[in-house]
Amino acid sequence: MLEVRDVVTSYGMIQALRGVSLTAREGEVTCILGPNGAGKTTLLYTIAGILRPRSGSITFEGRELAGTSAPDVVGRGISLVPENRLVFPHMTVRENLFAGAYVRLGRDRAGVEADLDAMFARFPILKQRAGQAAGTLSGGEQQMLAVARALMARPRLLMMDEPSLGLAPLVVEQIFQIVQGLNREGITVLLVEQNARLALSIAHHAYLLEQGRIAFHGTPSEVSANEGISRAYLGIKGG
Amino acid sequence: MVDFLQALVDGVMLGATYSLLGLGFTLIFGVLRRLNLAFGPTILVGIYAGSHVGLAWPGALWAVVAATVVAAILCGIYVERCSFRALARQAPVVSMISTFAVWMQLQELVSLFEASRTMPYPSPAWLPALTVGPILLRSDALLMWSGATAIMLALFVLLYRTRFGTAVRAVADSSEAAALMGVNVSIIGAAAFLLASTVGGLAGVLIAQSQQQVTPYFGLWATVKGLTAMLLGGAGSLPGAVAGGVILGVVETQTLWHFGGQWRDLASFALLFLVIALSPRARSEPTL
Amino acid sequence: MSDYAVSLLVRIGVEAFVALSAYLLLVIGRVSFGQQAFFVIGGYAAGIATALYGAPLAVGIMVGAVAAGVAGALLSAVMAPVGGIYFAAGSLAFGELVRVALLSFHYQVPVGADLTGPAGADGFRGVRALFTGGVSATAFMLAVAGLVALTFLAIALLLRSRWGEAMRMVGEDETASASLGVRVRRVAALTMAGAGALAGLGGGLFVHYVTYIEPGHSDVMLGVHSLAYAFIGGLGTPLGPIIGVALDIGLLESFRFLAGYRMIVFGGLVMGLLVVRPRGLLDEVAVHRLSRLVAWGRR
Repeated sequence: MLEVRDVVTSYGMIQALRGVSLTAREGEVTCILGPNGAGKTTLLYTIAGILRPRSGSITFEGRELAGTSAPDVVGRGISLVPENRLVFPHMTVRENLFAGAYVRLGRDRAGVEADLDAMFARFPILKQRAGQAAGTLSGGEQQMLAVARALMARPRLLMMDEPSLGLAPLVVEQIFQIVQGLNREGITVLLVEQNARLALSIAHHAYLLEQGRIAFHGTPSEVSANEGISRAYLGIKGG
Repeated sequence: MVDFLQALVDGVMLGATYSLLGLGFTLIFGVLRRLNLAFGPTILVGIYAGSHVGLAWPGALWAVVAATVVAAILCGIYVERCSFRALARQAPVVSMISTFAVWMQLQELVSLFEASRTMPYPSPAWLPALTVGPILLRSDALLMWSGATAIMLALFVLLYRTRFGTAVRAVADSSEAAALMGVNVSIIGAAAFLLASTVGGLAGVLIAQSQQQVTPYFGLWATVKGLTAMLLGGAGSLPGAVAGGVILGVVETQTLWHFGGQWRDLASFALLFLVIALSPRARSEPTL
Repeated sequence: MSDYAVSLLVRIGVEAFVALSAYLLLVIGRVSFGQQAFFVIGGYAAGIATALYGAPLAVGIMVGAVAAGVAGALLSAVMAPVGGIYFAAGSLAFGELVRVALLSFHYQVPVGADLTGPAGADGFRGVRALFTGGVSATAFMLAVAGLVALTFLAIALLLRSRWGEAMRMVGEDETASASLGVRVRRVAALTMAGAGALAGLGGGLFVHYVTYIEPGHSDVMLGVHSLAYAFIGGLGTPLGPIIGVALDIGLLESFRFLAGYRMIVFGGLVMGLLVVRPRGLLDEVAVHRLSRLVAWGRR
């Protein structure tokens, strides 16, 4: 569904991505692991159209994506749940969800309303807080809101940047169960995570990004079988 | 008691125009995070344009209104292109400095085109005055107030009931998040500017027809009033700007009634200082 | 030297003080649209000292500077902790406040046969200490130039000192500075007082040169121009604002064909420069490069 080939992205003189290639297969959860500063967020931002790649190609559903502007990327069916949630702090939960469907508001008002109700059904805690300002929600609730908001655009590919960051373990479990559920309903997920164990537990395929390059990729069992990686990222001694 | 009520009513009516000015500032500051100091001067150019049209075609009030608003919008486009779009990648203060360079230009432009400094501005002659019990509602003040209220209502419908409005409020809240939702942030910024210029031009029409004249001093006057209204309500809040404008209007007219003209302006400056001294936001504002 | 050239140079000198005053505040990260208020306060105070109380010229000008400095210190009680657009708006309001207050300021004292002193909206006329003292215009101009040079040196030295370091830190990031032990409030208050005194010095010099001053001299355009001078000339050195003044009043003013268009041209220059060099002609990078050139040349 998503093919990234030899993408190079730089910040001025610093090359954050030095020729990254990966494939996210339709209907699967693909996760990207790696240490801080490896370029994981840069990769997602490049796909999302917020950053322009220096070179390389990105194809989504057969059509070239690289160089598309951020609003158009959303229009193509890709939504990003950003690293720091980035909810609209002064808007209510309900308004946040509404804003998430921005690309559909012009042509499908009724559908948006229906989706809003569906979202409240899926995330009852959001329904409880529907009229509350999003900035007052707890970290876990904001994460749920950010996911629900991204879903309002009816994406075919959902990208998530470090959803577990700053959240309590129980909340993180909840979030990952939701993501797995979404995937089972047919949404392709591209997940960037530092919590390697959790990510591998729901992923079909994993990539390891180190210093702007893909160092390794394979199925979760292949990853755990690799001694070097499992010691570094999974804290396991031995295979 | 009657005095107090009359002053209160006058203040609310006057305050509506201050609210409009405050809204103009807030639209630009809230969405673009930069202060447009040329806002008052763009309205100044507008009302002088309207004044000229009024002299050339007496009786054609619609032409006067159109000329005022169009001139204000054209100036607004100029500011947006040169001070905001051209400097989008720089720190916010750079845009603000550029806008006061535009202020200089517009101020001189107005003085170049004037034979005399104060010019007349037409106002509709057929307006009735209303009396509600002992309270008199002057016809020009009534027009000012009803016009401003109508514009504010239209603005709020636009901002809270349309897709465009959702985008504007989203960008004002978090432009990063808005971009992720598919909002074209730079187009929304330009649109907010256009909206602010239109609101400003209309505010200019209402104020000028009430005073029945325009002076070059209007640019600074509108800037001080608009900024005060915006900051009174909490910078960047649209409902706050409305409230701020009304509060300012009420404080001014009460001071005028009880203490006389020379204290009126002093009172509005004192109010601004009070807000700055007491507002916690004022202290947490980052230096530029 | 022609009369016109002398008066031009005096004007440049006087406005340089207001520009330097705005510049000092820019160093601590505050944009002030109100320095014209201190200019006028200094002018009124200096005029009162010499015309009403017979103080010698130099003393009168000193009084003006001190009065304006005190006003700056008083204002800082409200404005020192404030930054960003609140400071900009507050300073703008202060400039207007002073102007409006002066419209009602009547203080007349019999001097000789007439009443002299501030007469509200009619202003304050008859400040003749410069001319009755027998000082020639040229001598005055040289004195002004000398004062500007001294002030420039003083500021340059100040900015190199530990104080200047603190000021720049406050300008960069107040929270970080505070966490490193800088007394932010105090730095802001002292800078505001000093900036006020500088503008007031300009005002005192001005009132004696043109012999009158009025509330309208607290003109927002003066404040706006002062800021523009600092930004166009460069934020890297106190020479920047001086160059900015010279550029506008010296260069543009002397082009007669620009007569009614000077502000339009100057405004356009500022706008254009901001696109390519947002920190002015002599920005910090340029100053650094120039000083290295000079150091290399000395070897």
